[in-house]
Amino acid sequence: MRKTLVLLSLIILTFLSCEKDDFCTQNPVTPNLILRFYDDSNRESLKVVDNLYVWAEGKDSLFINASLDSLFIPLNSAATETVYNFSKNNIVNQFTIQYTTENEYISRSCGFKVIFNDVNFASNNTWITDFEPATLTIEKQTEAHVQIYH
Amino acid sequence: MYRFIISLFLLFVFGNGFAQETEIQNKKIEQDSIIYKTAYGLRLGIDISKPIKAAFEDSYNSGLEIVADYRISKRFFIATELGFEEQTSNEYYSNSSSKGNYIRLGFNYNAYENWLDMNNEIFVGYRYGFSMFEQTLNSFTPNVSNTYFPGNTTSPNTTADLNAHWSELMVGLKVETLKNIFVGFSISYKVLMSTKEPDNFKTLFAPGFNRIFESRTGFGFNYTISYTIPFAKK
Repeated sequence: MRKTLVLLSLIILTFLSCEKDDFCTQNPVTPNLILRFYDDSNRESLKVVDNLYVWAEGKDSLFINASLDSLFIPLNSAATETVYNFSKNNIVNQFTIQYTTENEYISRSCGFKVIFNDVNFASNNTWITDFEPATLTIEKQTEAHVQIYH
Repeated sequence: MYRFIISLFLLFVFGNGFAQETEIQNKKIEQDSIIYKTAYGLRLGIDISKPIKAAFEDSYNSGLEIVADYRISKRFFIATELGFEEQTSNEYYSNSSSKGNYIRLGFNYNAYENWLDMNNEIFVGYRYGFSMFEQTLNSFTPNVSNTYFPGNTTSPNTTADLNAHWSELMVGLKVETLKNIFVGFSISYKVLMSTKEPDNFKTLFAPGFNRIFESRTGFGFNYTISYTIPFAKK
């Protein structure tokens, strides 16, 4: 009788101990797009954009009245194009990013990461004078993917 | 008070006395003529934990395991397990299921010293395991870690002809409850030796191995009821 009790409690404990054991420590898994703002007259030095508003076409604002020299913004993994509006002093500059997506498996807890391939940028150049892509593939966010001159 | 303590000391006073000083000499100790024989034969059984697990755990779809061992010496048994399992791994960003068959082959060493004609076991064992299975990635959502652009859930994708090889160490016990009928319990620690993984995904559960942890190890247990078909008594 006592033996059966021991066995039963062992079995119950084994079932109870089935909890998720690993947590995703990689953050973020899918990279954001990184833009850095440079001075158009002196292309080596960073230049802060004042009174900056950022929103994607048809979405809420991500940044309101910000002063930044670099931006981290998400790309839409469910589409092949993301259209962002950057507004400075009420002048809107539309910035379009086109790409193809690829899912890459990372781990049980982190799931799949999205890699953006064949990245192509376009701008209607209102307050932005020029831009320079730094990469064709967005798969990590350690450095800027595009430099923007204004 | 002092008297009490002194009395207490007296309690531990003892003396040596020899009541008998002549030793018993030349008296032969007679050998016990009864040799306790135990059955040798093929033991067949079933793991009853798997149907129970399938009934109570949603992610465990079905499972069946037949166990067998054959006694080759007083302490050694050749042991094998054959089974089928189907399980769904429901993770934060993916949902996949594995199903397939497996075999484990190895030996048990009974470390238990039985009394009289009792036939119980506390054993340690080694198994080599092999399973062939297929895994279906039912759905997954890319981990985009933002709610601004939520990820798209993707459709199922099955990879067949996957396999896994592993080694496992086992400890367990078997108790003869009725004549020739054994109830057994064992737990095992498993280490993967090689796997054939699906493209751009990973095997999260291998039948017979159980859940595969990041370190490529795993745990398993079984609860068996088995019957010995006695061939001989030795």
